[in-house]
Amino acid sequence: LSQSHLKRINPTRPLKPNQAGIKRIVLSTRENPAIQKSTTKPIRTPVNVNQKILVILHSDNGMLDAHARQSIAAAAILADIETAVVVLVLGELREELAEAGADEVRVIPQLDYLHYQPNVELACVDAVIADIEPVRILMPDNFIGDGDLGRRLIAKYSNRTAATQVVEINATQIGCYQKGGSQLGVMQLPDIVLIAADAAESKLPFVGAAVQKDCTNLFQTHLPSDNPILDLGLEKLAASDIALEEADFVISAGNGVNRVDTFMQLAKVLDAAIGASRVAVDDGKFSRDKQIGATGKTVSARAYLAIGISGAVQHLQGIKDCRHVIVINRDNSAPIVKRANLSVIGDAEEVMHALITLVSEAKLNKERTPE
Amino acid sequence: MKKLACLVSVGAHPVSHEARYSRNDGLALGLGLSIANAQNMALEVLHAGNVESPALLDYLALGANNIKVLPVSDDANILDSLVSELNNTDLILLGTRAEFDEDSGLLPYLLAEKLQIPLVNHALDIDLKDGVLEILQFLPKGKRRRIRVTLPAIVTVHPLASIKTNYVFAKKVSGKITSLANAYQATGLAIKQSAWTMQANSRKPNKLKAREHVSAHARMLSAISSESKSGVVVNEGTSVEKAQVILTYLREHYLIDF
Repeated sequence: LSQSHLKRINPTRPLKPNQAGIKRIVLSTRENPAIQKSTTKPIRTPVNVNQKILVILHSDNGMLDAHARQSIAAAAILADIETAVVVLVLGELREELAEAGADEVRVIPQLDYLHYQPNVELACVDAVIADIEPVRILMPDNFIGDGDLGRRLIAKYSNRTAATQVVEINATQIGCYQKGGSQLGVMQLPDIVLIAADAAESKLPFVGAAVQKDCTNLFQTHLPSDNPILDLGLEKLAASDIALEEADFVISAGNGVNRVDTFMQLAKVLDAAIGASRVAVDDGKFSRDKQIGATGKTVSARAYLAIGISGAVQHLQGIKDCRHVIVINRDNSAPIVKRANLSVIGDAEEVMHALITLVSEAKLNKERTPE
Repeated sequence: MKKLACLVSVGAHPVSHEARYSRNDGLALGLGLSIANAQNMALEVLHAGNVESPALLDYLALGANNIKVLPVSDDANILDSLVSELNNTDLILLGTRAEFDEDSGLLPYLLAEKLQIPLVNHALDIDLKDGVLEILQFLPKGKRRRIRVTLPAIVTVHPLASIKTNYVFAKKVSGKITSLANAYQATGLAIKQSAWTMQANSRKPNKLKAREHVSAHARMLSAISSESKSGVVVNEGTSVEKAQVILTYLREHYLIDF
């Protein structure tokens, strides 16, 4: 079938009711207007704002991760009609935060988490706090600087109540694991809350106004005269040295990859960690520690490039935390196509070769023309 | 002469919750010992709590020759006692997060604030040269960072630090535990004086969700229509064009830097 030029039709395409209410399989792609849902959500507009909740977070490469979005959503859910949600983003921001539920957005692009400058961060955040006088501060308790900054804030504002690693939060109280995880401690909603991942759902039935407020010159005015901490720069490990669970870019092979050396070459030029589906591992093409899925490893990479993987449920379980899933596959009705953000239907070997050439060229061009 | 101190706490076995050494503090102790050996300095090992705790014997076995114990009753705030003891210390090492009590990971930060000295978190490795510390710091996604700090400083050690610790029974027998004389009175319930009520960890925490007001009609419509979640599907084109689509996608979402 793959050789023929017949276009394949999704065999599991949905039934659609027609005007008379009878369900029919309709081959045309036009959606029935009766079924189309309205996609615009109402804007949450606080009136008579008398208090503000401040959410402080670091962006990662201009984007906010799921954990950061959950913190904003938690603030938006906790906020009543007279409370505004102010989001302070440390580091560059390249996306809209209306969908996330922010009423007001302030960005300090110089305070990226890749530069270690806790004193400047603390001074800038302190200035913002003094400016808006928030009733509550929410932060994600993560490793990209927010957990660190949050604890510094808690230590600084010693008269404010606080809790870290909060796994349960609602309008009246919070809960977090204590005594090595054996007990759940519950207390009244404190002033500073560091939220653990997955304590809140990031899906909201409304959007925020996301008004941008400029505060770019805050950084210059708060540079300290002497800094005891000197950042000597980052050391990036090669992708092959990183544990698969920790990797940011994973490229994985399945049954559709016939030539492993092409795949390895692509992984090398993209500097991606290597994974594999169970079939590829069972065939002896990859070692067992590369297996991704229910019986293998669970990865949480930002980018996941799956080549020749059909996407069995067990495999999809292993990649449920991946933000961007890109697929190269021969079959456009494979289950992984439903999960993917971008699917390329075609021969894996040919596309891999083309990608290797393109990426190598792009790297060469970048070397020749440094910014 | 520089003063070097390591703070150790009572840990809990992950399954039985039996008192034992805290793995993270054990790493901090190992790192402290290696620095003390290299610089020919003495390492002071401090514990605030009960002298009789069996966990302290584990730290002796891990190489602490002499553990000083600040006798603090269980409900006392250990912060004040530690601040007065650590006032002139140049380098304080400790684990990132405790395994007992609140285990909020706040103690090093509160100490740094009280002592007014810089703090560096998540150290994987430390090198001390002429009063200047060079620290390899952990960052997620396979990134590491080098930081230089002038002493005095507090450094918390990351649980992934690759430090070899040896558990030696002979040292467990020969080591000494001394209790400092002055007992501290209870000054507050916990580090941040927050009122906690404890529950057994038996239920799953409830996720915070937004309440949605949807009409029954809308719910029925969403149930009968299958919402397609899939992204862009590229069927047509040559393999080079398809590869270009992938590259463009990676660039658009800042997943690659070339």
